[in-house]
Amino acid sequence: MRLATLTILGGLMLAGITPAMAGDPVEGQKVARMCQTCHGIDGLARIPLAPNIGGEPKDYLEAQLMAFKTGAREHEMMTVVAASLSAQQISDVAAWYASHTASAELADGVSAEDAPSACVSCHGADGISVALNAPNLAGEATTYIVTQLKAFRLGQRKHEIMSEIAAGLSDEEIRAVSDWYANVHLTIVKEE
Amino acid sequence: MTIKALIPSVVLGAVFAVPAFAQENMDKLSKMQRTDATFTYVEQSGERADALKAIVPHIKVPDGFEVSLYAVVPDARSMAVAPQGTVTFVGTRKDKVWSVVDRDRDRIADEVKDFAPSVTFDIPNGPCFSPDGFLFIAERNRVLTFPAAEFFFEGPDPAVGEVVAQGKLIPAEEESFNHTARVCRVGPDGKLYISLGQPHNVQPVEKHEMYDKIGIGGIIRMNTDGSGREVYTRGIRNSVGHDFNPANGELWFTDNQVDGMGDDIPPGELNRQTSAGQHFGFPWTNGGVDIPAYKEVARPEGVEFVEPQVNMDAHAADLGMRFYTKGSFPEKYHGGIFSAQHGSWNRTTPVGARVMFTTLDEEGNAAGTEVFADGWLNGETGEYRGRPMDIAFLPDGSMLVSDDFAGAIWRISYKSGMSQ
Repeated sequence: MRLATLTILGGLMLAGITPAMAGDPVEGQKVARMCQTCHGIDGLARIPLAPNIGGEPKDYLEAQLMAFKTGAREHEMMTVVAASLSAQQISDVAAWYASHTASAELADGVSAEDAPSACVSCHGADGISVALNAPNLAGEATTYIVTQLKAFRLGQRKHEIMSEIAAGLSDEEIRAVSDWYANVHLTIVKEE
Repeated sequence: MTIKALIPSVVLGAVFAVPAFAQENMDKLSKMQRTDATFTYVEQSGERADALKAIVPHIKVPDGFEVSLYAVVPDARSMAVAPQGTVTFVGTRKDKVWSVVDRDRDRIADEVKDFAPSVTFDIPNGPCFSPDGFLFIAERNRVLTFPAAEFFFEGPDPAVGEVVAQGKLIPAEEESFNHTARVCRVGPDGKLYISLGQPHNVQPVEKHEMYDKIGIGGIIRMNTDGSGREVYTRGIRNSVGHDFNPANGELWFTDNQVDGMGDDIPPGELNRQTSAGQHFGFPWTNGGVDIPAYKEVARPEGVEFVEPQVNMDAHAADLGMRFYTKGSFPEKYHGGIFSAQHGSWNRTTPVGARVMFTTLDEEGNAAGTEVFADGWLNGETGEYRGRPMDIAFLPDGSMLVSDDFAGAIWRISYKSGMSQ
């Protein structure tokens, strides 16, 4: 599973999904003022419907912002925000949030062995991404993950791997997977 | 691909135990049987409470009023004070409804715990009460009712009924996005009124007719058993606050307006509805501003758009609102509307995070709007200390302001000795 995943992701990047521009985190911090009300200046979400983005892989952040900008992914707020950003600003703000470090801690008495195995090869048992183009899920609000998985299931959000995985999940299974990651404690720190 | 192929059966047992019981719990509760659910309590003293108390001096209110921290309530959204005033139920945009109790009536909550922990909620933003004590909770795509919730909330297994079953409020394929925080009220006609935000910034042209028919981008009403559903209000974008004028039974509501047209348009709205089925202009207009995407789209025939009563600051995000029907505030506030501005999220210079007051004239029209409370926005850094979301009133006439950013409920009271 893991090998297959990485191969597919490698293919995506070669196909030019990400703009692969050098990003300047200092410039990105200025752009992040547009993001902080929902995502926090450090990338720790301030509202339940926004994901934590501090310490996310830069490639993932850039790919999502470009997807919002091109219309490949839609969200009533993010579509508006991304439309106003240049490719350079997208690289910069992705670099700013990626310059943070996210770490995760499972709740007391919870064993990593019980993590949903469909998810762990890309998102990790503790929700810290182990693939360049996969987001961290640690500490994400249940409603956020549920909403995304349902969007993949309905085809409103598309991804080679996630669309297929989500298609096979019931509402109850989506809820359980989401609860697993929501219950992980997430810490985000800025590297000096 | 099935989940069993992905996850070993041992793991299935551990990871999926809770949701498997969720529906079972609903079945048990509707038959008044016990589950083994337990409460989550929110600590009301210590570091978190102290940090919130430090915000209080920043909040500015008119002379004679004072502000205090009423309760620590994570993600606090729309509120419903129970008829007897024992407990306030508070919705969230996550999966909890909180019960907030002030047993010793010192106007500081002494217990906050989750309501009906045996029920799995999904964005239970909107609680509201009927006068006879039924609690309704409007979720993203379901409506539940809890008879005598004021008395049964102390146990983890309150009786529950389904007003609108899961997936029947809106089509499931329309539920994936934002704008799914519902608000409900029981009107003077005894019907349940529920706002349904439309999920887009501006809905795609091919969807507006379907939405209009279902009431998405509107307010629907139904009998409290879920029968007789109809669209009561048409042509709104995303209303997250409505209330009835106690003087004449008319519905008033806030509306949040389109993003991406600039910092200063379109204005936020406060609207007055005088009869069933009125259309408030969206997606063609927003507070007198034409929406470009609908310039060439035919307007509904024979329909006159109702203009807003108040144009609020653009992007300030007017959400919860309530008429003042109590006695302890000075005369000028009686019969007027208090509304919460959540604050802008992408305006160049942030605006909002305040409580507004709108006074009405003898004809029942808005006759002036002013800032009642502000200071949750740090003007120097543009950062929020808190974001007011909804307004409610305790039986003593003091105001509660929910805040889903700080995770608090603030109380604003008129100093005793100065009233009446």
